[in-house]
Amino acid sequence: MKMRKISICALLSGLMLFTSCTKKVDTSEKVLNLAVTAEVKGMDPIYANDKYSSNEIARIYEGLLEYHYLKRPYTLVPNLAESLPVVSADGLTYTFKIRKGVKFQDDAAFDGGKGRELVAEDFVYSIKRLADPKLQGLGWWLLEGKIKGLNEWREKNSEKDVVDYSEVIEGLKATDSHTLVFKLNKPFPQFLYSLAMPFTFVVSKEVVTKYGDNFLNHPVGTGPFMLKGGEFKQTSKRLTYVKNPTFRKKAFPVEASEEFKPMLSDAGKDLPLLDKVVVNIIRESQPRMLQFKKGKVDYNSVDKDNFDSMIVAGKSLSKELLDKGINLEVSPSLDVTYTAYNHDMKLFQNTNLRRALALAYDVEEMNKLFNNGTALPAQSVIPPGIAGYMKNYKSPYRSKNLRLAKELLAKAGYKDGKGLPEITYDCPSASTSRQIGELIKKQLAEIGVNIKVQQNTWPELQKKITKRQVMLYGIAWGADYPDAENFLQLLYGPNKAPGANGSGYDNPEFNTLFKKAAVMQDSPERTALYEKLNRIAAEEVPWIYGVHRQGYTLKHSWLKNYMSTDFEAGQAQYINIDLNKKKEMLNKL
Amino acid sequence: MNLWSYVIRRLLYTIPIILGVCLIIFAIFNLSGYDPAQTLLGKHATAKQIMEVRKELGLEKPLVQQYFDIVKSAFTLDFGRSWATKQNILDMIKEGAVPSLTVTIPAFLISTITAILISILVAFNRGKFIDKYLVVKFVGMMSIPSLAYILFFQWFFAYKLGWFEISGYEHGFPDFIPYTILPVIIMVVLSIGPDVRYFRTVILDDIYQDYVRTARAKGLSETVVLLKHVLKNSLIPIITYVVIQIPFLILGALLIESFFSIPGLGGITVKAVFDNDFPVIKAMTVLFAISYIVFTLITDILYTVVDPRVRLK
Amino acid sequence: MENESKSLWAHAWDSLKKDKTAVFSMTIIGIYVLLAILTVTGVIASDWSKEVGASYLPPSLENPFGTDIFGRSVLLKTLKGVEMAIAIGCVTAIISTVIGVLFGLTAGYFGGKVDEVIVWFYTSQASIPGIMLLFAIMFVLGKGTSTLFIALGITSWIPLCRLVRGEVMRHKEREYVQAAAALGAGNRRRMLKHILPNIFHIVIIQFSLRFQMAIKSEVILSYLGLGVQGAPSWGTMIDDSKLELSRGVWWQLGAATFAMFFLVLALNLLGDALRDALDPKLKGKA
Repeated sequence: MKMRKISICALLSGLMLFTSCTKKVDTSEKVLNLAVTAEVKGMDPIYANDKYSSNEIARIYEGLLEYHYLKRPYTLVPNLAESLPVVSADGLTYTFKIRKGVKFQDDAAFDGGKGRELVAEDFVYSIKRLADPKLQGLGWWLLEGKIKGLNEWREKNSEKDVVDYSEVIEGLKATDSHTLVFKLNKPFPQFLYSLAMPFTFVVSKEVVTKYGDNFLNHPVGTGPFMLKGGEFKQTSKRLTYVKNPTFRKKAFPVEASEEFKPMLSDAGKDLPLLDKVVVNIIRESQPRMLQFKKGKVDYNSVDKDNFDSMIVAGKSLSKELLDKGINLEVSPSLDVTYTAYNHDMKLFQNTNLRRALALAYDVEEMNKLFNNGTALPAQSVIPPGIAGYMKNYKSPYRSKNLRLAKELLAKAGYKDGKGLPEITYDCPSASTSRQIGELIKKQLAEIGVNIKVQQNTWPELQKKITKRQVMLYGIAWGADYPDAENFLQLLYGPNKAPGANGSGYDNPEFNTLFKKAAVMQDSPERTALYEKLNRIAAEEVPWIYGVHRQGYTLKHSWLKNYMSTDFEAGQAQYINIDLNKKKEMLNKL
Repeated sequence: MNLWSYVIRRLLYTIPIILGVCLIIFAIFNLSGYDPAQTLLGKHATAKQIMEVRKELGLEKPLVQQYFDIVKSAFTLDFGRSWATKQNILDMIKEGAVPSLTVTIPAFLISTITAILISILVAFNRGKFIDKYLVVKFVGMMSIPSLAYILFFQWFFAYKLGWFEISGYEHGFPDFIPYTILPVIIMVVLSIGPDVRYFRTVILDDIYQDYVRTARAKGLSETVVLLKHVLKNSLIPIITYVVIQIPFLILGALLIESFFSIPGLGGITVKAVFDNDFPVIKAMTVLFAISYIVFTLITDILYTVVDPRVRLK
Repeated sequence: MENESKSLWAHAWDSLKKDKTAVFSMTIIGIYVLLAILTVTGVIASDWSKEVGASYLPPSLENPFGTDIFGRSVLLKTLKGVEMAIAIGCVTAIISTVIGVLFGLTAGYFGGKVDEVIVWFYTSQASIPGIMLLFAIMFVLGKGTSTLFIALGITSWIPLCRLVRGEVMRHKEREYVQAAAALGAGNRRRMLKHILPNIFHIVIIQFSLRFQMAIKSEVILSYLGLGVQGAPSWGTMIDDSKLELSRGVWWQLGAATFAMFFLVLALNLLGDALRDALDPKLKGKA
């Protein structure tokens, strides 16, 4: 024992010599230090189908439109477009004027290494890339069947060895150097939202050609930041961005919704406000929080297991944190968690059974254990914050009611669970997902329903859903864009797997109404239709609804203009760091 | 048989082994019929896209062709691109190798040297209290699961005491040192138990050999016997054991890298498992197998250089 | 002095009985096996899934290891975990032993081409890292506890096979085997009735090693989401605690580690003691 103690002590004290040179926090420049939880795949916009990759891509690349940083509800404003487009009376033709004087970042791919000016043709090229059958862009679903001639072009080229970009497509034309015209097959009111998503961000042909297969590691956009060194290394756990010196003149917004008025102190200033952005990839939650506490990360979301030690009485911060100048930011997110039934199975076409299970499910307990009681129990599919959400609506099959649940179960033909097979519940492989599964197992056991929890890697779960090898599965949906259509389509029959409707719910009434609402422009009539759809989705119980989550984010006192948002793309350019405050507060940490 | 003809024969023998490894990999990954669509195309895949992707990836090729593609990749090290990230796998491996090695090599050296010293000490005192005590201690150390060590050490030394960096990594010497100390300590703690146990057995095995008795009978002191005769003979199995561990260094430390955000091969492997990223898993498997074969070859040849009798068998 | 008439086994048993560590570890293993039997039959820990209090209660007299997220007793979960640990250890060790002995015997006994093929196969498999193979097998067969057993078994038979093969080669030329052949014993009879009992000590030693390795592997597999599904296991408990530790909940990690520590320690020590007692190389010398 002694021996080992001595040797380990000697080892430790030897190593301690090095630790004295542990890094200090840099306060000479305005640096935003972030922590993200998953690796970034690459820097090619057409593959940005996860939040982490698209957030990084949006630091470098930009699109025609963006969400107004300080306005809620979310409002689209022009970014690379000069103004919002002119839309023809039939809602099929969108004409954009491209902003003049926008330059691509300097790169060896351009003549003389100087970035050239952005033209309308660049958008034509970028959107064709998204449709390129050889590249298999992950955002293709967004435009599939929407733009006139684009599907045909994709079809034609999938047979060829080399994709022909020179062919002019009717629905996607640059009529002059700074005018871009889209023609749609049918009205698609959500079209503009897709132009604010990283999938459609603009890339330059020269850069793509020069780097070829490695283009995804050589991002060159028009955006406010560029990667230090210019090259992206996928395995790296730290990404450093510097200010783009040739970034156009873009000013901090001068208008804001009431809650963001205090941020207007930077109004009119040139963007970006930061010198540098450093992104740390930290998979495990414990090191992430500790890095935050040491001031090495500027903000961090609070997960369930750190909640109790930081936030008292469910609302405000603990004194320890307040003394350090740490603030809490609470914001609802546009999402819904749910447990879906596989409607291809005869078993779950039984509405009474679906309702019975939903009534046995105690959303309050789940909220308490996994969201510290902060989330909003979902009554139906549409989250608050977008049209179609009904504030005072209470679903009759929402709150736990064992008596009614048992009654319905008997009505469904399975008195006390007799005759029911063992029902598998598939979930992702994260520990928390497994625990949620265990909770459902426990709760449903109370009415005699037997559940078996099965963990899967994410792709495996998706495969099972697509191949209809699931019975019950737990999952969540976050908004692609702030429109109820994005949520309701999850229950639209024709979207059945492999589409977004993984549960395979197919209700003719719902389908007809959805089809009608989907092509309508925003209007009170559309909202009324959305609400009707939302009500059907609640009462037919195609899923057991979970919650609409709230984001709890801790931020340091020196972090300015940060808010948690559902559409983080491009956010870093608006953020500011108060260096004096940072110097002062770091001593207190 | 002379040394060279042995070496050549031994080299030739690696060919069926490489073919065999590729066969197993082929059987598992290609015949299992795994459909890459979900990894590659995400949640919005259509049947047509899936077809296109399968063609693109060569999954529609004849099986024999697919097998030889694996064999080819073992020699060219061209593993293609990852399904999940579309990155060139060889580049990922090159980038990940250095950070992994900055953790595994120091840990390997420290634990091997310490373990050898401890086992000599233990062998000196065999059968005495300290021997039994230390053996039980080390066996005890290896009876605790690695995840428990990681969780506790990170929480205690980095969080409570604040001695070390919590997580992260910096490229280049000596910048990486503050980040790798704690992972190295954990690895040493994890591997020292099995090391000591093995080395002790080897040394003790030799102590009971006849030639040691003879040496002792000649009146040589215990220290001389132990250091000159026993250790010299134990060296072969010890070297074999040590060299054969080298391939594992390349594989990195799966859990440690994830918990300490070290951008190494272990983390790449874990991510590949979570993503069902088969080409990456395949590449890591092939890479490990090749280095395993190479290092076994080296030990075998070393063996015969040291002890020519082996060759004759 | 050695009694010539005593068999290797009787002799080994004698020396094991004298070895305090061996007796100690056998007692511990015995206790664990007993616990496993008691939980399987439902005598204890059958109500492990019942709530006994609020979530994350610290250890107290009532709940010696506190409660978990659902307010279940960590003590009962740990006890129920014994069952899974013993099952994983036993089944895995049996699978790997059967495969290892079968291939080892065949290769060593027949030699020639058969031997070459088997050696080629296991050398190839040995070159593939166990964790990758595990992952691949679990992927092909689908997840679940039985797959876990098979995968762990398939990936751990090689060391035993190597040892058995070597020993069989030495034994098959011995007089007793030759004599059996002269008396008309067939190949199978010679292998199973005559050679196997003489090399069985190797099997036993390796069995105890495989047993503890399987238990430890389950923890890593649980981290990767490939572990036991639907029943409490020490691996899933430790996996849970990676999130809980930051809120100061250490008892789940503590209880599972503690339980695993003693079982694995006992198995390791027993393995050592068995080797000392059974390995002819060391016999009578220590």
